[in-house]
Amino acid sequence: MTRPFRLLTASGTPYLFLLPGLVILGALLSVPLYKVVEYSLYDNVIVERNPTFVGLDNYRNILGDPGYWSAGFNTIVFTVGSVVGHMIVGIGLALLVNADIHPRARTFFRSMLVLPWIFTAVVVALNWQLLLNPFGLINYILDWLGLISEPLDWLGNPDLAMWSLLLISTWRGYPFIMVSFLSGLQTVPRELYEAADIDGAGFWHKFWHVTLPQLKPVIFGVALLDLIWTFQLFPLVWLTTGGGPGRATEVLSTLTFRLAFVDFEFAQAATVAVSILIISAAFTVLYLRNEARRL
Amino acid sequence: MSRIEISNLVKMYGSHQALHGIDISIQPGEFCVLVGPSGCGKSTTLRMVAGLETISGGEIAIGDRVVNGLRPKDRGIAMVFQNYALYPAKTVRGNMAFSLKLSKMPKAEIDRRVNEVAEILELTPLLDRKPAALSGGQRQRVAMGRAIVRDPEVFLFDEPLSNLDAKLRGQMRAEIKRLHQRLENTIIYVTHDQVEAMTLADRIVIMRDGRIEQQGTPDAVFHDPETVFVAGFMGSPPMNLIDCTVTPTGLRLGDTDLACTTPDGLRPGDRVTFGIRPDDIRPAADLPNGVTASLPVDLIEQLGTEKLVHFRAGPHELIGKTGGRVELDEGTAQTLAFDMAHAFFFDAETGHRIR
Amino acid sequence: MKRHLPKWALAAATSVATLLPASLPAAEIEWLQWFAAEDPTGFYDQLVEDFEAQHPDITVKLVTQPFGKVRESIVTDNAIGVGSDVLGLNMPWTTEFLDIGILEPLDDYLARDDNSFATSDLVEAPIGKIDGKTWMVPLNAFPFVMHVNMDLVKRAGFDAPPTNWEELSEQAAAIAALEDGISGLGLPFSSQPPSNGPILTFLPLLYSNGGRIMDGTTPNFDNAKVVETMEFIKTLNEAGAIAPGAASRTGGVDLEEFIAGRTGFLISPGVHSSAITGRNPDMDYTLVRVPTNGTNAYRVHGWEIGISADSRNKEAAWTFVNYLLSPEVNARVAKASNALPGNLAALDAVREGADDTLIKQMDILSGDTPVEEMRQSPKAVASWSLMTEELQSLLRGDQTAAEAAAAVQARWMDQIK
Repeated sequence: MTRPFRLLTASGTPYLFLLPGLVILGALLSVPLYKVVEYSLYDNVIVERNPTFVGLDNYRNILGDPGYWSAGFNTIVFTVGSVVGHMIVGIGLALLVNADIHPRARTFFRSMLVLPWIFTAVVVALNWQLLLNPFGLINYILDWLGLISEPLDWLGNPDLAMWSLLLISTWRGYPFIMVSFLSGLQTVPRELYEAADIDGAGFWHKFWHVTLPQLKPVIFGVALLDLIWTFQLFPLVWLTTGGGPGRATEVLSTLTFRLAFVDFEFAQAATVAVSILIISAAFTVLYLRNEARRL
Repeated sequence: MSRIEISNLVKMYGSHQALHGIDISIQPGEFCVLVGPSGCGKSTTLRMVAGLETISGGEIAIGDRVVNGLRPKDRGIAMVFQNYALYPAKTVRGNMAFSLKLSKMPKAEIDRRVNEVAEILELTPLLDRKPAALSGGQRQRVAMGRAIVRDPEVFLFDEPLSNLDAKLRGQMRAEIKRLHQRLENTIIYVTHDQVEAMTLADRIVIMRDGRIEQQGTPDAVFHDPETVFVAGFMGSPPMNLIDCTVTPTGLRLGDTDLACTTPDGLRPGDRVTFGIRPDDIRPAADLPNGVTASLPVDLIEQLGTEKLVHFRAGPHELIGKTGGRVELDEGTAQTLAFDMAHAFFFDAETGHRIR
Repeated sequence: MKRHLPKWALAAATSVATLLPASLPAAEIEWLQWFAAEDPTGFYDQLVEDFEAQHPDITVKLVTQPFGKVRESIVTDNAIGVGSDVLGLNMPWTTEFLDIGILEPLDDYLARDDNSFATSDLVEAPIGKIDGKTWMVPLNAFPFVMHVNMDLVKRAGFDAPPTNWEELSEQAAAIAALEDGISGLGLPFSSQPPSNGPILTFLPLLYSNGGRIMDGTTPNFDNAKVVETMEFIKTLNEAGAIAPGAASRTGGVDLEEFIAGRTGFLISPGVHSSAITGRNPDMDYTLVRVPTNGTNAYRVHGWEIGISADSRNKEAAWTFVNYLLSPEVNARVAKASNALPGNLAALDAVREGADDTLIKQMDILSGDTPVEEMRQSPKAVASWSLMTEELQSLLRGDQTAAEAAAAVQARWMDQIK
């Protein structure tokens, strides 16, 4: 046996064992990606056995469709609103459950507050549909408090549906942020808070001048990650409002699904999907850069 | 400048008692050093003065006010932490100005004070840097600057030099001492290093296991230790402390008899802890009036200006001293002289001084 | 070399083994359907076992998904070439599936002499030819009916369910006025998928008004009957008879609310009667034909079966379909789903020991005109999403009935352009 071959087998054996996994993983990532881009360049894919190549026609169609732009606008509202909601609630709760209380109570609250994370989107959607129903608990409470005079159809009223969706998305998404911040909070040196105590800083000053600067890299990374996830979030929207009423909560991901599986316009769906891909990829590059800087 | 009165201070952690009734009275402008091995309660005491730990019992007064219930910022104190605890996101100027901003001081006044203090501490060129861009000694000075700008009644230092290398530590020690001479504030300073304690303190409080062993001037605690612990803790190399038997003529040290006078309370046959500093054991030629004995020298350490002479007396290992230029052979018996005027006797059971 | 070879070879073998699919036995067929998802008793497993006992050379793999997922799965499975052999189908999907070429024409199979059933005995609607061919056969059939909570009807001061629109609006309003949280009628017009509220509730009312939405295979939504029916539900809504929140009410919630006793009337498939009586046995429950406005017509519906055009085991697949349609097996299936048999030769067997609600459905089926328009309508699923959106807007008061009808027609035509 020649020396190079011996070297190759000796050092290559581990890679050979990895090969099946790498091949499958690579195929699962690259084939759909390639297919989606390819579909977006043809007309009547899947429906026709031999679709015709149309170049960028689908992109022209989509970009000229007001439905696409309104879904894009809704996506921005939904994404930014969700991320801001996650941040505010997540940070607030992280501070609360980081407080110096009885350890058993703290463990209890920490576990309870993580719960929204572990439910599947179906369960979340169903529960919130019931809560937000005109005869549901939330209307009942608001009525009892005298805040509303007649029940509101939170998910069926075009003026309220997006807000309701943001509420649900915030509820569902804050635990990830909370957990990330909680671990971040525990890395802030205790002495910094003591120094701030002696300098005369109150709760907000300490939060603003000590906690926040210490967590800034975490905040930025987590917010970007959340942005990427929320931007393409599909099940929660689809299962809660289906993009309705009308198209009041239609986002790019639900538009993609609607084009594909309701309208059977797979090429148009692929085109919207590619547009999501491009924007997500841009966010991802930002995220990776931020991570690289942190390391 | 304020006096600090700590009376019967107690700290409980659950059922564990960390402090057993501490009494310290610090005069205005006094530099008080709390020293002791780790876990002795010195940092706890300091943090209770700062208001960072709750008080389980007793009272702390700063100036005329009992501060037990006051928040740290209302106690008129400033503190320098072991790890500096600088705000990493703020510049040197931001760190120093933070407490002044919080107290709503006019901006012009803040700038004036920060610039003045920066001048004193030679921080002026560094004012716009972040802490990450500073060396350890510079950070230490910023931490002090942050305390000084507040012009507090009392400075609290929690092992401020322990993260510095030996050379820098010596410089900073001197700087702190000069600063105190200039500012004349009351200072409580915690350290485990007895050299720092000796050099800096007007008053040294030596603590062990949550109790005060002895307090007094550096001279008093060094030259007149009340307990065997204090005698052994202060001084480097430490005082020789040997279990001896009292004889009619003096002491029996291993198999050697030392002729000396013993305190009146001791009777021949009593067991006693005999203490004598290395400085007070010298070659017979150096110390004509000493009590001599011929003892085997097994090691000489050359420190430069002086040499440490390690020798044996029966099973006991002792250290003596001689000048750096004195020639002395290792591995042979030498005639050594003990200056018994500076000998100490401690109760073998309680460790208390027998005079 | 000797020392290296085994490791190297093992790794290579592992890669190859992972990538190769296991070879399949020749006569295994897959049956993708949602029927078993709606049957908690394990009836379909038993059915398949019985089949396999009679046909030892064929194994049937039951692939069960909820109704809302099946259409999607059929399309995606077909696109990547892993489609099931026997498919549970819904008539509205027909035209869409034909466009993609998913379905196998069944005419040759139906023409065979050795079938266990006579084609003339099958319920008509599903086997009607499109593009000159038959594409599916009926496993069962049921009319859309109106389920009635007689407790609420009686509390509102009536002793019989409504039979016409006038009585319906009078009783629904009276029931809604009983107390907070109680409504007369639910309209499940949520956009949440399948977003099919209009074909569940609006079309049955339209048919009982003598209206239609198709002209052959062309959408004809903008007509006087449609507008009249829309105005009817708008009036009901303004009278407070409709459950609030129609625009967020899903079909599932609509059914649950009725079962919980909070709506007086529920327009939905007759098969729901077993769920209602099973879940709330204390309710004074009955079902009636959808109240008419002059015409006795009903929307007919059923569970259909077809064979995948790409199936590699079409013979085995047909053997299984043939088994399901035999009068004896078909009667069992109908009873298990509380519906009528797709093979009407099984009708007598089903009628024997059938409960009151099933008998009533049979009466409707035998006397009234069946209507099924969705199977020949292009883009059926997209079209009912459009109807949902425009009906939401109608009930919100954003547009008139005439405008809503025109909007649906325009958007629908745009879809099929």
